[in-house]
Amino acid sequence: MRPENYEARRQPPSHEYELNIGPNHPGIEGNYAFKLRLHGDEVIEGRADAGYLHRGFEKLMEGRLWIQNLAITPRICVPDPVPMEISYCLAVEDLCGLEVPERAKWLRVMQAELSRLAAHLFTFGGHAATTGMYTPMFWGIADRDLILDLFEELCGGRVYHIYNIPGGVRRDMPPGFIERVSNTLDYLESRLPDYDDLMFKNRVFVKRARGIGVISQKHALDWAVTGPNLRATGLAFDVRRDDPYLVYDQIDFDVVTEDAGDAWARALVRRKELFQSIRIIRQVLAKLPEIPGPIRCPIPNPLAWNVPAGSTYVRMESSKGELAWYVVSNGGEKPYRTHVRGPSQMHAVQVLEKLAVGCRIEDVAQIMFSLDACPPEVDR
Amino acid sequence: MTEGKELTTWLDKVLTEIEGIEIRRKSSRRLRVDVAADALPALLELLRGRASYVHLSAISCVDWLDDGEFELVYHVWSYEMQSLVSAHTRIPREPGIYISVYDIYTPAAFFERDIHEMYGVFFEGSPDMSKFILTEWDGPPPMRKDFDSEAWVNDHFDWQNYNPEWLQEIIAQGGGIAVRPDEQRFSRKQ
Repeated sequence: MRPENYEARRQPPSHEYELNIGPNHPGIEGNYAFKLRLHGDEVIEGRADAGYLHRGFEKLMEGRLWIQNLAITPRICVPDPVPMEISYCLAVEDLCGLEVPERAKWLRVMQAELSRLAAHLFTFGGHAATTGMYTPMFWGIADRDLILDLFEELCGGRVYHIYNIPGGVRRDMPPGFIERVSNTLDYLESRLPDYDDLMFKNRVFVKRARGIGVISQKHALDWAVTGPNLRATGLAFDVRRDDPYLVYDQIDFDVVTEDAGDAWARALVRRKELFQSIRIIRQVLAKLPEIPGPIRCPIPNPLAWNVPAGSTYVRMESSKGELAWYVVSNGGEKPYRTHVRGPSQMHAVQVLEKLAVGCRIEDVAQIMFSLDACPPEVDR
Repeated sequence: MTEGKELTTWLDKVLTEIEGIEIRRKSSRRLRVDVAADALPALLELLRGRASYVHLSAISCVDWLDDGEFELVYHVWSYEMQSLVSAHTRIPREPGIYISVYDIYTPAAFFERDIHEMYGVFFEGSPDMSKFILTEWDGPPPMRKDFDSEAWVNDHFDWQNYNPEWLQEIIAQGGGIAVRPDEQRFSRKQ
């Protein structure tokens, strides 16, 4: 919305006013606007306004080769890019009937869980910052950086890795990598009690987060809430366990739930998932030396690769919820259609608009961050 | 799940209540269903009401330009049966009007709004068909196959004449830009 195009949507009576939050504001990890109508401090109506990060990726992907699109996919969600690459690769592999080697699957799980750790630390800190506590934010970003260092060592990229290709992964781990990941995990685990002291035992956070932005389980199901936000309402559903992909069916982990459904419960679910991800990566690290073999299967010449005609729907559990790709091929060297269903498309629009009604203005940013919405995923 | 087979046969029984339905099982958790456009809302109603498919994962639109049709795909998931049904239906490209399933699945509002914006399909009964992502866009729906992004750019924007001083110096020494952007073709169409 450019200033010259602004029109007050209706002439408000004297006790009501409109407030535009955004596109730059502390409530979300990107550019996203939220237009509020307020009565005093109380929100009467909220309207989400997206499009600031629209880059037309779905259209771009129709004009590029299957292999070229790998460079586009991680950019769809900046804080948690790995599930995007993996799920696109899974879709292409499904269409081509490629058999991915075992080692590549375990490497992908490791990468996905490291990315989940990084994304949760990011959100965790951001959520604290919306309640005025900046220490967890600095700590979260600093600890996330250690994971980015690992990614840099693994594939050269810190944020966008493009480590996966259809059929496997690009290269194996460098020597000594398992030990360094293990050390980082030990460090992160030793930090978890500090995070608990800093956030969940902090009166400020307890008072601010409890009972804010409550979603009941029924509403969560009606509004297609997924991921940690759904588990915070007490429903133990996780795509990794209930619709398994890669090798998650061979891994032991708990699906964390909380019952309250408020901002507090959502933060707590993420905090507990940090530990579960550490558990998963430890199992992967223990397993990897036993699995020899190639890290990718042979694929045709990627610059002249006609993927067989067909369509597929691939789902994954990203750090924000259910991520899905609908990919259609007409037998050509480019995708005929790719549609990405990001979890934030639900959380940042319909759910947020409903939750904001009736809350106070100082809680809006917190509700937004506790839903862990990712604007680039909404805009694509 | 021991009762998986029974549940599956029961689901097949529910589905065959719809006329002209074509069911294809792609894997143990994926079911593809092709159905006529006028029967789709009834199918979704059955899936949600009697078969526990409460989660609308997504609605995807595919533009089949050569057939003159839009394909709409409704992906619904059942938490209890742990399976995903993709219901495919086709509607004529012109006039591109279909009925909203917002009364069955609330999340449909977002997807229908998105498809309306990107493909120009109008969903009757959807709560909000206003612009969302392309707020200041007045061109044709951009995701349609007959929308050519490159032609649109060439028609509506000028190439910037980029000729700073430092570049002039390089050109004077015999260097310069090998390919100017206005000479470059981005697609392989021509």
